Amino acid sequence: MNWSRQRNEHVRSDCEELLARFQQTDSVRFENFSRIWREMKFGQIFYGTAGREKRAFSRLVLDVAFVYFLPPFSFQIRVGGLYLIYGLYRCQTASPRVGIRVALKDWEDVLGFQKDALGARHLDAVFVLRQLRFQRAFHFTATPRALTFERRAKEARSQLGNKFVARASGPQELLDRDAMEELSNVHELYGRLKSSVYSPAQRERLGVDLTRENLPARLRGHVVGFHGWQKRERQEASDGDEGVSEGTSARAESSRRARLLSSIKSKAYGQAAEACKSRRHRQVEVDAGDSSGPAPPKGRSTSRRVSLKARTHENVRIAGEMWKEATTPTSINRLTAVDRGPEAKKEGRS
Amino acid sequence: MAASTPTSDNSPNIPEYEYGNANSTTFHIDSLRKEWLSRLKPSDYSHRADDEDAFHANFAHEMGVSVDMMRALKEVCSTEALRCHPEDQQPDPEVVPEDPTLKTLVERKKRQDYKSSLKISKNRHDLYADEQERLAFTMKPEAVENRVPEGDVILTINVYYPATFEKFCYVRPHVTLLLLGSQSLTELRDAICCISDLQVCGEFSDTPDVAPDFVSKDHYKSAYFFFEGVFYNDMRYPECCDISQTTITWVKANNFPSYSQAKMEDTKLVDLKVKVGFPYLYCHQGDCEHIVIITDVRLTHKDDCLDRKFYPLLTHKHRVSTQKCAVCYTFIARWCTTGDQFAPSHPCLFCDKCFRMLHYDADGNKLGDFLAYPYVDSGAFN
Repeated sequence: MNWSRQRNEHVRSDCEELLARFQQTDSVRFENFSRIWREMKFGQIFYGTAGREKRAFSRLVLDVAFVYFLPPFSFQIRVGGLYLIYGLYRCQTASPRVGIRVALKDWEDVLGFQKDALGARHLDAVFVLRQLRFQRAFHFTATPRALTFERRAKEARSQLGNKFVARASGPQELLDRDAMEELSNVHELYGRLKSSVYSPAQRERLGVDLTRENLPARLRGHVVGFHGWQKRERQEASDGDEGVSEGTSARAESSRRARLLSSIKSKAYGQAAEACKSRRHRQVEVDAGDSSGPAPPKGRSTSRRVSLKARTHENVRIAGEMWKEATTPTSINRLTAVDRGPEAKKEGRS
Repeated sequence: MAASTPTSDNSPNIPEYEYGNANSTTFHIDSLRKEWLSRLKPSDYSHRADDEDAFHANFAHEMGVSVDMMRALKEVCSTEALRCHPEDQQPDPEVVPEDPTLKTLVERKKRQDYKSSLKISKNRHDLYADEQERLAFTMKPEAVENRVPEGDVILTINVYYPATFEKFCYVRPHVTLLLLGSQSLTELRDAICCISDLQVCGEFSDTPDVAPDFVSKDHYKSAYFFFEGVFYNDMRYPECCDISQTTITWVKANNFPSYSQAKMEDTKLVDLKVKVGFPYLYCHQGDCEHIVIITDVRLTHKDDCLDRKFYPLLTHKHRVSTQKCAVCYTFIARWCTTGDQFAPSHPCLFCDKCFRMLHYDADGNKLGDFLAYPYVDSGAFN
């Protein structure tokens, strides 16, 4: 089980490596993607599998890669994800080809992506997607993966994945240009309507504002401020490593706080308290294990008990022949053996 | 894919993950099929391969691109662009390449080196599984009426062996069947091979020559499936009785939410309302219980086996090693004796020849004191 989880991790990290390089090119052109693909010799990921393993591995790698094609990743990463599954689908060694599973709940996202790409005239992305549909690469399923009621340990989301996520743009989406125009029109009408109730003389005597002053302008100011704050956060977080535009993403406030908390906790428990002066010769040893690494390999907190066989082997030592006899199980089969001559006489019942 | 609360505008027929991500929510299979068909163009799920030039021409026309642009696009996005090695120097895809940079390849190389250092290269599961896999794909029927229609669903069902072996606690031995949505539950039932169906009851030490010509399968024909609170009983034969009735009366008496019943032969798989990945029950012979999990539901595809005759299609089967005769260790055991003074163990297995040689004299008289039962080996379906 451990081996398959490790394999998942390796496949995922290879895909993320490819997508990270693609992200750095700051473009969505297929040429750039194929250049990186050739550099990394990514097509070789299928080499070395044999027989049934080909299909199983193709299934695994397509399932892993498909995740990057769906939200919440940013548009550039989604384009990279699309190119990635296209490349994997075409380069796989299994025959007939293993299809790409699309669940019903994700189909809307796929169509939404196509619409966005069309709108932005990214012809290569649209062409690749249409080609996949034409080649009947998709399997239309109920769930993204085949489920067998296995409880998996929570798969750690790698740090890199966070950089791929599209930044939250709720306020910007809510107040786009059309909405702002309409808002300012309505605001004007409202203001006029309210003030028409009173005569100008009465209005001066009123000490209150009938409507909020400059509501649209202030809203816009807030949104711009939010955007600037997001940008600053991202710059801080990435330490100036990132390029600009859609590639970068904002880390969510909550995850930052969580990480802060976990780092505080690890400092508190990981480091043993310094012994007092009188016992300084007996300093407590601290295990310099990886406490908050990016992907904790063992999800289980309780350690695995060594099996009974291993413990017996460890603890019980019996000399020579008796040990051999003790370990080999008594076999009630093979009570007779084909008589091969004098050697057979030496073979007794085991 | 974290479990998310379904948004209010999601139709109930779109399955999401349930809490824990081990299975999906309940959905009606036919409704899922209709939802998919309503969202797709017929060309998306057709079994025919279409003309590629027509596709390119349509695309160019739709996007309003020139012929040159189209050509450039085709060239840039072709598979040639993804070729990592020059055409005449293709390395062998069966072997891990030298100096791998990808982590997957590094790890695969380590595993391969380790495996090649072991003495046993293949186990019995792999030997037959490869063969089975090859048979499962791309079978095209000759006759049109046998063809699977486009837009039908295929269900992948795992039927697990009954959990009576202590050996099988950490591995889940099962049989994987592919079924069409238009097939009924009785076809699924008939495809499940369980050795308890072949058991012969009765003690035959006095009359070993009476070939028992009845098996449990013929005696006890009742069975049921249990999906989402409904018992689907097999009522095809007059001997079948409703064995789920006891459970239902018990449930009513003990304040559980009540279950209902239906007939297996009247229910098609598309009529079921199930969860994907959730364990359900198949019970036959009164007490032989199998766990049934529907692992996958999807539309048919041109690469599937398109001949109706082959469904239910077996794609995976756990092989059980056969028990051989304790004496000759050559033939498969057919008799099991208990309380046998000639046998070294209790119970002990014998093949037919060794059994007769040891326990009966030349005239066929019983020697000694023992009880003999016909034995059906668990590997009978290998």
